[in-house]
Amino acid sequence: MVESLFPSIENTSESSRRKKPRISETAEAEIEARRVNEESLKRWKTNRVQQIYACKLVEALRRVRQRSSTTSNNETDKLVSGAAREIRDTADRVLAASARGTTRWSRAILASRVRAKLKKHRKAKKSTGNCKSRKGLTETNRIKLPAVERKLKILGRLVPGCRKVSVPNLLDEATDYIAALEMQVRAMEALAELLTAAAPRTTLTGT
Amino acid sequence: MLEGLVSQESLSLNSMDMSVLERLKWVHQQQQQLQQVVSHSSNNSPELLQILQFHGSNNDELLESSFSQFQMLGSGFGPNYNMGFGPPHECISRTSSCHMEPVDTMEVLLKTGEETRAIALKNKRKPEVKTREEQKTEKKIKVEAETESSMKGKSNMGNTEASSDTSKETSKGASENQKLDYIHVRARRGQATDRHSLAERARREKISKKMKYLQDIVPGCNKVTGKAGMLDEIINYVQCLQRQVEFLSMKLAVLNPELELAVEDVSVKQFQAYFANVVASKQSIMVDVPLFPLDQQGSLDLSAINPNQTTSIEAPSASWETQSQSLYNTSSLGFHY
Repeated sequence: MVESLFPSIENTSESSRRKKPRISETAEAEIEARRVNEESLKRWKTNRVQQIYACKLVEALRRVRQRSSTTSNNETDKLVSGAAREIRDTADRVLAASARGTTRWSRAILASRVRAKLKKHRKAKKSTGNCKSRKGLTETNRIKLPAVERKLKILGRLVPGCRKVSVPNLLDEATDYIAALEMQVRAMEALAELLTAAAPRTTLTGT
Repeated sequence: MLEGLVSQESLSLNSMDMSVLERLKWVHQQQQQLQQVVSHSSNNSPELLQILQFHGSNNDELLESSFSQFQMLGSGFGPNYNMGFGPPHECISRTSSCHMEPVDTMEVLLKTGEETRAIALKNKRKPEVKTREEQKTEKKIKVEAETESSMKGKSNMGNTEASSDTSKETSKGASENQKLDYIHVRARRGQATDRHSLAERARREKISKKMKYLQDIVPGCNKVTGKAGMLDEIINYVQCLQRQVEFLSMKLAVLNPELELAVEDVSVKQFQAYFANVVASKQSIMVDVPLFPLDQQGSLDLSAINPNQTTSIEAPSASWETQSQSLYNTSSLGFHY
């Protein structure tokens, strides 16, 4: 029964996982929980997902380019780093979008941008656009947590939107996030390779 | 005679398809049979007395209460052991050696005792003959099996209820009788069987299962053991990937001006390169071209592709070429695979 679910690498099966009852895990939920991790790994490896991601990435990057071209071109370093940050955010957003909102980190990424925009609109100068920058524990309250728990907290900080998440969910999110990041890296590498391959050709033909 | 009993029934029950009810029925039958057997052979088997003594020394309530159960199953460890864990031949050999070497029996007992799971249910008589896969991450009491087995096992129940684990367990079991779906947790022999430890154990097993998945996906995690080391590796890997993304985004930021110029080539070639990367690293999967989001490509003028362009990238299947031709309506795509 579990094997029959594997070929369907659609994301709808992921969403059904979310609806498992809270109080007690049913037998189906247990099988689903087992399936979840294998699902998430397979999900980010399908060609279709990669195609979708690649297309959206290209489009978004083109839009970014248009936006950044309007800015001044004086400081190249700043421009590059600024553009790099924008590209990274764009890529993350596209990645989160292709997750179809089934995972916590994808929702957090998409939500953080909305939050940042709202804050920009509401207040003229607000430097808390980056939700990740939060003050840590105060020195007085810091008790030496056991090593595992400390590391789990660090992991929670790395995965966007997973700070106050329970341990099993955190591990699930981390699994999905790692798979998605791998896909993102592969896509961006391919894109960069293409552009570097295409660049000399276009410069030759263009100029 | 024991071997005959064991081999026949255990082989049939090795398949996981049998429902729990059937298994319980079988177990009950076995018990009845074994009862007769034991009563016959109790004189001749000093090892059974040793078994009894062994159990007598154990202070676990559960075991004391299921004393007679073990007595019955002392010679029937074969099927139980076999049910979850071993090939039939092993248990046959074990039971056959039962009569010869009492010491061996004790070892067998200890081994199987570790693996046999004592039941933390209200009805502690019947051994649950579930497989190990089903026993993992199970939490509460299954109602159907309970009611069925309680009806069947009335003869065995006796005074177990009174000496059962805690009265609160029974009350909890009663309250949970209304709920149907449950996950079973089996307490191992010698471990606490109260509610909280079971829950703890189930939770820990869940977490360790998830850590195993992470271990598979993160390279280099196999070398380290223990949660802390694995978490270190995982954190390292995530940071590594994020750094890679940043680096690549910087690279793309530099290359972005060329994006406009290379826009015609980019999409089609990109996917081919992508496929190459994918194919090189992973197994090739059939391209799902009809799902290709054409609307996003509307702005691209693919007819402007230089037909003489050739790529040396291998695509997974030749049908991609035909499909892409039909999609993009170009007759002279010069890609060769």
